[in-house]
Amino acid sequence: MAERQNGKTPVLTSDETNVSAPVNGRSPAELIERRRRPRISTTPPAPPPPPKIDDYVPIIGQAYVDELRYLAQKLRGKTVKMVNSTSVGGGVAEILSRLIPLMDDLEVQTKWEVITGGNDFFEVTKAFHNALQGGTYNLTQEARETFLAYNEQNRRRMHFDEEFVVIHDPQPAGLIPSKANSHAKWIWRCHIDLSNPNPDVWGFLRPMIEQYDASIFSSPAFSRQLQIPQYLFYPCIDALSDKNKLLEESVIAKVCDDFGIDRKRPIVTQVSRFDRLKDPVGVIQAYKLAKRYVDCQLVLAGGGATDDPEGAAVLKEVMEAAGDDPDIIILNLPPWSALEINALQQVSTIVMQKSLREGFGLTVAEALWKRKPVIASAVGGIPIQVIHKLTGVLVHSVEGAAYQIRYLLTHPEFAERLGRHGHEHVKENFLMTANVRRWLLLFQILLGSAQMLKPTEP
Amino acid sequence: MATAQLPINSQRQAKSPFEFTTAAHLLRVCRQRANNLGELLDALRIVSDDSIFQHTFRTLQEHHFIPQGFSNDFAHWAFAACNEVSLAESLASLDVREYTSLTSLRERIVKILEEYIQHNPRSKDRLALEPFFFCASETVVIPTSCSARNLEEFIDGIEKVSLHSIHYHFIEARLRLKLTSNDFSVWLERELDLADLAEQLNRIDIYTSTLQEVRQQIARTLRSAQ
Repeated sequence: MAERQNGKTPVLTSDETNVSAPVNGRSPAELIERRRRPRISTTPPAPPPPPKIDDYVPIIGQAYVDELRYLAQKLRGKTVKMVNSTSVGGGVAEILSRLIPLMDDLEVQTKWEVITGGNDFFEVTKAFHNALQGGTYNLTQEARETFLAYNEQNRRRMHFDEEFVVIHDPQPAGLIPSKANSHAKWIWRCHIDLSNPNPDVWGFLRPMIEQYDASIFSSPAFSRQLQIPQYLFYPCIDALSDKNKLLEESVIAKVCDDFGIDRKRPIVTQVSRFDRLKDPVGVIQAYKLAKRYVDCQLVLAGGGATDDPEGAAVLKEVMEAAGDDPDIIILNLPPWSALEINALQQVSTIVMQKSLREGFGLTVAEALWKRKPVIASAVGGIPIQVIHKLTGVLVHSVEGAAYQIRYLLTHPEFAERLGRHGHEHVKENFLMTANVRRWLLLFQILLGSAQMLKPTEP
Repeated sequence: MATAQLPINSQRQAKSPFEFTTAAHLLRVCRQRANNLGELLDALRIVSDDSIFQHTFRTLQEHHFIPQGFSNDFAHWAFAACNEVSLAESLASLDVREYTSLTSLRERIVKILEEYIQHNPRSKDRLALEPFFFCASETVVIPTSCSARNLEEFIDGIEKVSLHSIHYHFIEARLRLKLTSNDFSVWLERELDLADLAEQLNRIDIYTSTLQEVRQQIARTLRSAQ
């Protein structure tokens, strides 16, 4: 890298930005070849055993775990049923697969059931999903009947003997008629953004939703005016999962070696599937603008380009935008790459999430947890996680993102402070243990067994 | 430290032990939301006390790791979403420790907004970058296994309990006590006759320190009396 002269950061020539010295024991030519053909795992690893609640003591402290145990003790013997529409893939299944073992460990028996349906049902629910998040959609009578028929079919098959029934997302929302024959408190957990729903689809679902005892949203901005109480549960990450646990140095070194990443130079990373709404081309543009002033590599790591035609098209656009820049490393990773993603985030100097539209954007929380300075767009749930200049920086344009890359790379003490605050923000608000606490509180409040306190009561 | 080394007052045994307690909060989304300062003012007049509590006292706890720039949600929104810097400064200068009732705290916030809008009428209807969503806190009290009968046990408890417990006793307490004080100071004065120490704790600045630093300052102050 060129040295500073007269206190100014020099503009680098293209030759200076390229790999010019041996890295990881490889010659520059070998490194560039590795970047072109990264070693990507082709087989999924065995899933790790689920953690116990005491495994979190080193992370959140004994006192916090004791509080969870106290809250759970009051619910001992109560049972919970969680219902969603898929057992694998997607954020809901990922959260449930981690949440349920912890609830069981706290002796609040929690059962997970998945509704079934034909392709016609899931085509309707996918269309509903998109329409509820603002997409255009013509709701037909046939679609209504398909939705109701499959919900009815599942309802007849399922039993609701538990004290709490939690229905996740719109797909199983039509199970609600069973509430009339159960003593359970029914809760609708909405994971999607309902701020601007298609009025026909929302008008169809709303009468069902308002029969629940309570609803839960991921952000106040995602909620609707309802006749039932609405609670706020932020989505969460698990600090002990493969994607977020602290990795040994040897694992990080191997991942960097496999992907041809030079750890001696700054690394700017965006982790997200190859989707235009994640604006990977905008990230490349920001990187190229920044690189006129600061040296760095760009890693774009994601999936969705193998089994999704649109993802493949976006990947092609990304490769074209990258051109022949050897410092742009594009990784099309399979779904079982949690450890690799974790290593990439841990080794990064800056993590970006320059989405044009976003749900909650939990990749931001993942990066903050790893104490990384994050540059992210002010969309969806990101501003809840990134408080501008306090836990990260928010941007609204390619140029803004480029400036922040330059600023953070040249002000490491500020970047470190953002990362430190970001880590604490996640610890307080976006960890799985915070979510367990919210569930325990909600169950107690709905049962009326909690020792409630008004702030002004003596 | 051995009890034998403590001065007389710090060896004193309390008749009533200090029972460390904590509180857990669940956020409820309220009906009210504001797209501009005028709507914020209207909503502030009618939202529940739980909502005022959430956006002032509770937000301090949620962001306890940030020692600067985050005193309450109204100030943050005025700055970040409305770009009303002087209003944000006025709202940020509110010190929750000066309020022993949510009614008086609400009145003060309303007054600040009324005066600002009166002097800056065009700000009233200017659309914010994002709405302000009113939320409310539902609070559940949780006992802990920590209790103290003397100063040494008290310091031990301060160091062991969660930061939620520190917030509950040291910051939220004034609403329950109706005093510009806190549970720790009240107990030290009443049970151990340590009025000076109680007053020293009450002077710890919660706005320029993280809650962890506040905990350390409390422990340090108490140790200095030993």
